[in-house]
Amino acid sequence: MVYNFFKNLTSEATLRGISSVLHKQRLFCTAAQASQILATNEKHITSFRTAESNPLKHNFDHAYRFYTIPVEVKNQLFQHGGLPKYFNEQAKAFMETCVMVRDPALEILHYLKTADYSRPAIRYVIYGESGCGKSITLAHILHYGLTAGFLLIHVPWVPNWMRVCKEVSNSATREGYVDLNLDAAEWLIHFKNQNAALLNNIDLRVSKEYAWSKREKTEEGVPLLELVEHGINRVKYASECVVALVKEIKLHSTQGRCKTLVVIDGFNAFFHPRTRVVTAEKIQVPPSKITLTEAFIEITKYDWCNGAVILTVDKTGVADDRRESFLPIYQLGKEGFEHLDPFVPISVREYSEKELESCLDYYVDRRWLQNEKSFTEEGRKELKYLCGMNPRRLMHVCAPL
Amino acid sequence: MAPLNMVFGSVLRKNIIFNNAEVLYKRVNLVNAYSMYGPQFVEPVYKKDKQESMYESGEIENILHVPVKAARVDATCSVFHDELVRKFTNLVMRDGRKILARELIEEAFEKIKRIQLQRYHSTEDPEKKTSVLTDPLKIFHAALANSKPVLQLTPIKRGGVTYQVPVPITDKRSQFLAMKWIILAAKDKDPKVHFPEKLAWELVDAAGNQGKVVKKKQDLHRQCEANRAYAHYRWS
Amino acid sequence: MSAIAISSKYVGGRRDVKNIPAVIHPSVHPFSSDMFNSMSDTEEFRVLDLKQKKQTPFRRKFKKQDVMPPRTTMMPVDQDWGNVWPGPRTFHPAVVPLPVRQGYNEKDAPPGKFGNAELMKIPNFLHLTPPVVTSDYCHSSPDIRNPLARIVTIKVKLGRLPLNKHARDKILRLVGERYNPENDVLTIMTDRCPLRQQNLDYAHYLLTALFHESWKIEPWESEKSEADMEYYDWEASASRKSVMRLLSWSPDQDAVQISADFILSDLTEYKEAISKIMNEGEEEYTLNRYKEEVKKLLSLQDVSSTE
Repeated sequence: MVYNFFKNLTSEATLRGISSVLHKQRLFCTAAQASQILATNEKHITSFRTAESNPLKHNFDHAYRFYTIPVEVKNQLFQHGGLPKYFNEQAKAFMETCVMVRDPALEILHYLKTADYSRPAIRYVIYGESGCGKSITLAHILHYGLTAGFLLIHVPWVPNWMRVCKEVSNSATREGYVDLNLDAAEWLIHFKNQNAALLNNIDLRVSKEYAWSKREKTEEGVPLLELVEHGINRVKYASECVVALVKEIKLHSTQGRCKTLVVIDGFNAFFHPRTRVVTAEKIQVPPSKITLTEAFIEITKYDWCNGAVILTVDKTGVADDRRESFLPIYQLGKEGFEHLDPFVPISVREYSEKELESCLDYYVDRRWLQNEKSFTEEGRKELKYLCGMNPRRLMHVCAPL
Repeated sequence: MAPLNMVFGSVLRKNIIFNNAEVLYKRVNLVNAYSMYGPQFVEPVYKKDKQESMYESGEIENILHVPVKAARVDATCSVFHDELVRKFTNLVMRDGRKILARELIEEAFEKIKRIQLQRYHSTEDPEKKTSVLTDPLKIFHAALANSKPVLQLTPIKRGGVTYQVPVPITDKRSQFLAMKWIILAAKDKDPKVHFPEKLAWELVDAAGNQGKVVKKKQDLHRQCEANRAYAHYRWS
Repeated sequence: MSAIAISSKYVGGRRDVKNIPAVIHPSVHPFSSDMFNSMSDTEEFRVLDLKQKKQTPFRRKFKKQDVMPPRTTMMPVDQDWGNVWPGPRTFHPAVVPLPVRQGYNEKDAPPGKFGNAELMKIPNFLHLTPPVVTSDYCHSSPDIRNPLARIVTIKVKLGRLPLNKHARDKILRLVGERYNPENDVLTIMTDRCPLRQQNLDYAHYLLTALFHESWKIEPWESEKSEADMEYYDWEASASRKSVMRLLSWSPDQDAVQISADFILSDLTEYKEAISKIMNEGEEEYTLNRYKEEVKKLLSLQDVSSTE
């Protein structure tokens, strides 16, 4: 039996092209060694779980395994959104937030580690069928960004602004533009929550004076956090603050004072002309006429460096006339494609066999799969066919069992 | 039963005595007069393991060359299929909206799991921890078993007075009553609370031998106990 | 055969007539000698015949006319059929030397050709025997010529026409569906005139007009934008512009610009990849190719290279 295990290991290793079999043996050792480790840390050495919770160290050895996002990191990153609602509920039931280390995330992490940051920011566009794990991949990358000391510009879900905006007001400074000030202020709080620790460490200052009104202005040379605070306190100027903040960060990043990771979920919503933002005159506003759009269009351009841009396109993020395909160029539309080109498309697919097995094992471990039949080979097979290897569907199929 | 026996005696030219309608139906393979299936049709066996056991025991030979009725839409060979849950779904169903009914029950099961998992994680003592039941199906079965009454009251008129007479009930009837009570208890709720959520709580409570449904059962038993003096009216 | 059948029927009819018993009655023929004889012989009372039977009226004997035997019996084997049956006409049993049968008899063979209405009802093509028919179109109407025969189709290989890029584009837009890109053939079909010659002339006219029209350049044609292009032209696209700008960008604005020639030599594969997406549609394969090219362009390392 041990022989078989090693045989599997080696074949797996050759498949993935990993040279060091010994390394793997050490990581997932069997028999006698395993019992020692099981005694020390029973919970973490399992075939579906990895103890490595530092995304900086994640590599293909950890693929298909779950890693835990620490509670404080979760609070810092996702307190104001970022994880899908159902996933969050799941995390609550499991008493932990676990994310599977999957290929697309590893691929992006690899690029982020090896890219040349003196060159223009590279745009990565994550695409895939809905429910395949685009947002979870983003969460993994965000965790990486936080650990690697990136300044995070994270938009949890753009369609929220285009569909359920909280307040619409005409822009004071720009003719024909519309502000979503409450949403902007909320985003600023999110930004502050994610980056306050980092911003206190590195000294970023406002490069020019911003005059908000006759009496209010932000002086040149004050810390960047003050600009954020101003937007939060004076909600009226929140939208303008976001634009100013993003431009400042871009400038600082280009000058090499900080590294910036832009993570935007549902980016294609910026390029679909139909929104539910309506002015007081009941006129529908296209995204290009919303001030917030400008900020995030600006930061996803190529003309800055020391940063990376990771976006997702999602067909559920736009109106139903653009839902025929989830492929990125179709989702972005002509305008969006021209804005992002050249970008690196990253596909997030359905679970592979191994990933599905690992996920089912994890559910059993978390007592989420309780039905006796689901422990049998037949039950697992049935679950596999019911969900069609789609992670979200698997989650829903397993829910009542 | 007596008139029925007489009818069958005359129809089948045999002296048959059945004291139970169910047995009768099984014995004579009684079919609905307007059924699309003739009396030679047998019920389908849609469970894989049942089929296999029939092959092993040789029982299959009896029905191998007999026409079989088409399986019903809710007959599935899924390993997760449970006959009681299926029955319960049909009772929850209104206006034939079975998909909705099934969704509601699945949601309730999920909720049960969440409630119980929370309990499981919040108990510190490892011994107590293992005793927390987290399988929603087991909880459902336990709840049903706990809510099944063994007696019921039936009005019988004697000497111009109607007495509530305690009578024993069949297993099927008591199962039906238990399911009905659970559903009624789940429907008795604040409009803001969703049905699955309330249902989940009711099931969890009943599984723990407490809650509204179990109380209702106990009330009924108590009343039967109180009316035991009328018990003889059942046959006299 | 059929003629014999008819005659035998006739004979049968005669027999029926014969079988009727001939009752000769004194009241009808009062002065017949037979009656007197019987009266004198028997001396009995006359029987009063209350149920007098009417004498059947005298029926004239049917005389069969002499008919000429069918023409077919005298036909030579090597006759010119076109002369015998020159045009469309109803079937005639005596003219067609074929033992045709048509119809249904419950207990017998199908009725033969003589006196057979079925054979006369159906259209026949006896005027269209192979030696007679020489044209492509013919049918069984009184006119042997099919009206569809006037339609003219001409096919031109578009590559043989002297057209430049613009003219070719325009002619393709003008002809629309009539051009088959698979074999580069332009098909013009004309059917609006009643005669074939007229249609042929018209087709020639159309081809000439198309050719000259396609060489004309209208003043508004300069307004043609990218969306109107029939294929993706990367050289003129926004993608090329953004790639060039991206490659020549540097954080220090005064840095040396990368020369355009150098960039272009690198970009042919990228150009192909993106043109493939735009022309053939976005799918997993084209998108993967685009991804590989972008990775090369941005000098990103492959994932597998590190392992």
